[in-house]
Amino acid sequence: MDAVGVRSERRVMQRWRLALLKYAAVLRVSVENNLAYMMEVFFRALLLVVLVFILSQLWKTTFALHKEKILSGFSINTMIWYLIAAESIALSLPALTKRIDQEVRSGQLAYLLGRPCSYILYNFAHYLGERLVRWSMNCLVGAGLATLMVGWPPFTWQGLLAWPLVSLLAMSIDFVAYFCIGLFAFWFEETQAFSFVFSRLTLVLGGVLAPLEIFPQPFRSIALALPFGAILYGPARTLVHFEVDRFYQLLLQQILMLVIGGVILLVIYRVALRRVNINGG
Amino acid sequence: MLSVKRLISTLRLIASYAVANTQAVMEYRAAFIVQVLTMTANDSLWLFFWWTYFHQFPLTNGWQITDIVILWAVSACGFGISAAVFGNARQLSSLVMNGGLDAYLSMPRYSLLHVCIAATDPTAWGDILFAVGAYLFLVHPNAIHIVFFMVLVIMTSFIFTAFMVILCSLAFFLGNTEGLAQQMFGALISFSTYPMDIFHGAVRLLLFTVMPAGFISFIPLQLLRHFTWPLFGAMVGATVLMVLIAVGMFELGLRRYESGNLLGMQA
Repeated sequence: MDAVGVRSERRVMQRWRLALLKYAAVLRVSVENNLAYMMEVFFRALLLVVLVFILSQLWKTTFALHKEKILSGFSINTMIWYLIAAESIALSLPALTKRIDQEVRSGQLAYLLGRPCSYILYNFAHYLGERLVRWSMNCLVGAGLATLMVGWPPFTWQGLLAWPLVSLLAMSIDFVAYFCIGLFAFWFEETQAFSFVFSRLTLVLGGVLAPLEIFPQPFRSIALALPFGAILYGPARTLVHFEVDRFYQLLLQQILMLVIGGVILLVIYRVALRRVNINGG
Repeated sequence: MLSVKRLISTLRLIASYAVANTQAVMEYRAAFIVQVLTMTANDSLWLFFWWTYFHQFPLTNGWQITDIVILWAVSACGFGISAAVFGNARQLSSLVMNGGLDAYLSMPRYSLLHVCIAATDPTAWGDILFAVGAYLFLVHPNAIHIVFFMVLVIMTSFIFTAFMVILCSLAFFLGNTEGLAQQMFGALISFSTYPMDIFHGAVRLLLFTVMPAGFISFIPLQLLRHFTWPLFGAMVGATVLMVLIAVGMFELGLRRYESGNLLGMQA
């Protein structure tokens, strides 16, 4: 009886391992696809240079006019590095909603559903590959720019170690949100508008223009309570101002958001699948 | 007399296209309304950021929240008119690449104008709605200021369109420049929506020459604050110059254009 139990456990483990390998292969192909167009990725990253340059000028002027070296705990050095960190996540977002929307409308979804893999996980691996390449390029270009503008970063080794983890979780939260919006194509004529609103809410309330501490009350508390801060503000702050308590709090918030978002995504996906009609021909 | 007749005829063509394009996007009424409201909400969010910023830091080089409202209203309305009326200008580089200009070159009207007015961007109406609402309800202008505002946003819409045509016309010489055009146009929009006083030296010079953000945000704002004829002349001059450069680039590029032998239909 014991031997049977061990065998079935092994079989389950083997199945999990094969599934992981399968999605790891999709991720690798997606990374290689994006690395093949390196110059395009590089030119995309130049927008980050423009945006960070504009924002750095705004904050340099603000610091100078108020004759302050520290505003809400941020010096001009940490502020610029914060902006780079937040923008590197924000500007690495691929057009996920558009792709899902098109697959639903064109009927290509039906072909993908027939594959021996989960449609959601396949798309996650594909999305992550694309996003990781863009994010890495943004970090490289951004780090060069910030070093030129304000000198070496004020990071601690804990912040540097935590940064990839919290960024990965932030990208996963983005995936869940934009994938759900893409699935809205089953019910709505237009999904880009929802995606646009979500991205703008993430940018403004997520703290891409400035750390949320800078803003006045009650806006600060509202923005901190909303989930958008866990996508940009939380990871960027962890990098430039690492605090153990805040790091655990952010991790908990991100994991909770992923779990709740994941459940919502599964429900929407299940309901949407009932609307798929596949006709032979 | 002949030129007045031609001008009226051209204006009627632009108006007819604008109406037809809007009717076409209105076919998907719900989607159109959602897109318009979304863009209005997007612009309002940025203005909200500025409100919170000025709440915390009341003055930035003499700038106040009403100045930012005017700056955003002029930029958004100028961009909105450009995208709503001349919305196809951004497709110019792909038309050049794919040989899609053939359909326009064989028509009796001026081809560049025809290309630009052939499509609209429905979200642009959201920008216009936001700009007009913000200007009227937050700035409380008098009748003269409203007239000035209308004149200035028409000029900024020409600058936006001309800049896009210049960028897309690079496709005649350099091949696929779609990405470059998008990045540069994005940069123009970004620079136009921040106070000009935060930029100094060479950057400021660039913003009044290579990337004309100063003529989209700074000069219109100054004119709406204190009107002076020399400044107005500079604004008109810059607009005319931008349009002439755009037409010149397109004409020059057209000599290098190779037909794609595409069969197209303009219904």
